[in-house]
Amino acid sequence: MAVFMDLNITYTTDKKRLRSVIETAAHLGYSTVAINYVVDLQQKKQVSSSVFPGKSRPIKVLNRLTVVASDPSHFRPNAEYKAYDLVAVYPTTEKLFHAACMTFDVDIICVAVIEKQPFFFKRSPINGAIERGVFFEISYTPAIRDSTMRRYTIANAISLMETCKGKNVIVTSGAEKPLELRGPYDIANLGLLFGLSEGDGKAAISTNCRAVHLHGETRKTALGIVHTMKKDQPLTERQEEEHAPVSKRAKIETV
Amino acid sequence: MVRLKSRYLLCEVCVSDRRNLSLLDDRAIYTATKAAVARAHGDYGAALSSLGFSVKYLNAHTGIVFLRCRKSHYRLIWSALPFITSLENRGQRVPCFLNCLHVGGTIRTCQKFLVRYNTQQLHRMLPLCQSEAERSEIRKSVLSCTLKKEADDEEEDE
Repeated sequence: MAVFMDLNITYTTDKKRLRSVIETAAHLGYSTVAINYVVDLQQKKQVSSSVFPGKSRPIKVLNRLTVVASDPSHFRPNAEYKAYDLVAVYPTTEKLFHAACMTFDVDIICVAVIEKQPFFFKRSPINGAIERGVFFEISYTPAIRDSTMRRYTIANAISLMETCKGKNVIVTSGAEKPLELRGPYDIANLGLLFGLSEGDGKAAISTNCRAVHLHGETRKTALGIVHTMKKDQPLTERQEEEHAPVSKRAKIETV
Repeated sequence: MVRLKSRYLLCEVCVSDRRNLSLLDDRAIYTATKAAVARAHGDYGAALSSLGFSVKYLNAHTGIVFLRCRKSHYRLIWSALPFITSLENRGQRVPCFLNCLHVGGTIRTCQKFLVRYNTQQLHRMLPLCQSEAERSEIRKSVLSCTLKKEADDEEEDE
């Protein structure tokens, strides 16, 4: 069975609810989840407290940062980004989308699902992003909550698929409550609604997510070869053992 | 040879907080699924789901449901399942979601999968047991899981 990952669980300050969401994800069969801290450009940055809610089942919990940006200068205070495993950007203008696809050092680009896309996707930045190994993310939880969101989600997803031909797409939840999660096979089937083929749909939650994870890890190392590790934490040590094969296998080179 | 082929969707109803709300019945799931398909795919979906669609089996303790639909349209119905958010039962609304575990061509293959799945769940529950009596109970059930008698007498705790 492939590893399924859900890379977008919204961070809430209610630790119990976060913990129940992660437990539900473990029950549904996900092997890895990522807690998403959303940073808006006006606010000051949040504290990155890596909350590991006690591994009751061996589910891996990652940290992820999403920057909502509308101006290229808002991105890139570099130092804190090292603390997160994955970095995502949510572009709101066409210029920023182009810049994010071609030059920004991110892993994930979020596609808008709660509003009509204010700009159209063009083939050239998307192809540039695919070559660099950046992935596009579609979140499905707004579609479950509300019918108007459902239309926007499907419309934006289909326009993305037309331009990118189904490559480099991941589908994630944006779950805030445990009832908003769905099982991996259901999501692969939702990919059919979004215009993905059946193989692409399954890849969108398993192999593509794993590629994003590796991409995030190689961002911490230099070109995927050298890895630094803190010695006092046993958790990082365990990751370091995985890094020797990972850095050799990483097909994605950044910067 | 002409034969009416069908697909059986093996789903699990996951309720968030209360185990007592697993007193569901198949009419509730039937109406909820038809409504969800109608909402997601419109009149075409509603017409398709009235064709070969039925709820074949429901286990109120573990929340396992078998849904049967035609082979030509099962993907459509399956794609509307994530949009179910609650089930109505005699006036009270239970928020839940359906998680599809397996798709099979016959009830027998689904049963085989279900037996394997239940043994996996029991194995998962074993380290979480509090007392030795529960532990031996689980071990006994694991050894007695066969196809002949559908022994899912455990609740999953989640």
